[in-house]
Amino acid sequence: MSTRVMPQELVAAFDDEIRRLHARVAGVIGCVLATTDGRRVSAVVDNEADPQRVAAMVGSIVALGETIGREVMIGRTQFVAVSAVGGMVLLQRVPARRDLLVVGTLARRNTNLGILLHETGIAAEAAGRILDEWLGRDQPPA
Amino acid sequence: MNGELKLLFAGAMGAGKTTAIRAISEIPPISTEASNSDHAECPKDETTVAMDYGEITLATGEKLRLYGAPGQPRFQFMWPILAAGALGAVVLIDNSRPDPLGDLELYVDAFRALAEAGAAVVGVGRMDSFPQPTLEAYVERLATLDVVVPVMPADVRRRDDVLGILETLLLQIEATWAYDEAMGGTGDPVHQSSRVAP
Repeated sequence: MSTRVMPQELVAAFDDEIRRLHARVAGVIGCVLATTDGRRVSAVVDNEADPQRVAAMVGSIVALGETIGREVMIGRTQFVAVSAVGGMVLLQRVPARRDLLVVGTLARRNTNLGILLHETGIAAEAAGRILDEWLGRDQPPA
Repeated sequence: MNGELKLLFAGAMGAGKTTAIRAISEIPPISTEASNSDHAECPKDETTVAMDYGEITLATGEKLRLYGAPGQPRFQFMWPILAAGALGAVVLIDNSRPDPLGDLELYVDAFRALAEAGAAVVGVGRMDSFPQPTLEAYVERLATLDVVVPVMPADVRRRDDVLGILETLLLQIEATWAYDEAMGGTGDPVHQSSRVAP
């Protein structure tokens, strides 16, 4: 799948999920859905962060986190978290038949981490279902 | 030079950075590959998204730590992170790409501190099938960038070719250091520059 040929209806469905995640968690100030190789698919970001740059970083950090997990033999990486003075970022792979997407959620410092993890996971699973459904159809030529 | 040395492999997506490190690493290489979603840019199935890592020990006992940088410009944020503390860089060019001389400019400019200090070497791949631009054209383009570093053909699938590139790079670095020392410098012109953190 190339994002250059990703169908508009697929992108629109992802946009809906990302907007829902952004809206339903108090304190979330940004959500980015990216390809695993760092291309922006969908994003809602309230601050000045550049969504394309963030998308590239999400791809890199998830890959690095999973690589570290394998290296130290602690099993499959569930998520990667960045905790900063002014907020936090949660990053995780979208569970689907093919490892094509990653999601990142940026939240204010006082956001409840458990809720953020839970809701980011729900959004990732929803994006995965959307992707699987699309992969299950007859795909247009790339 | 002694102890552990850090070297960086840079270049466009598909230029062979991961392949080069795999060809010579004496440890199982660490890679961070993801599905390539941009087949218009390169037909590979997978692409490096964070870094590659490998190690090789020279006959002198020095260990080379080899880092590969992701090639796409959107991963530019990784380049200074990986270049920090590097003694030198291998810039790999794929001569079959649409604008290999443009690629040269991009990566030499990105790692200019190393290139200007003479701590770099350019390896050009796929010259058998794509003889243009010639090595002379690369040297001329480097001259316009005020950079003088070795340019050599290379098939990075061949271990000997990659080792030859590294040998050339280390000779180049040693010669540059010796010259710098003779001119009253510290013998480490790369890390005098603030553009590459030690």
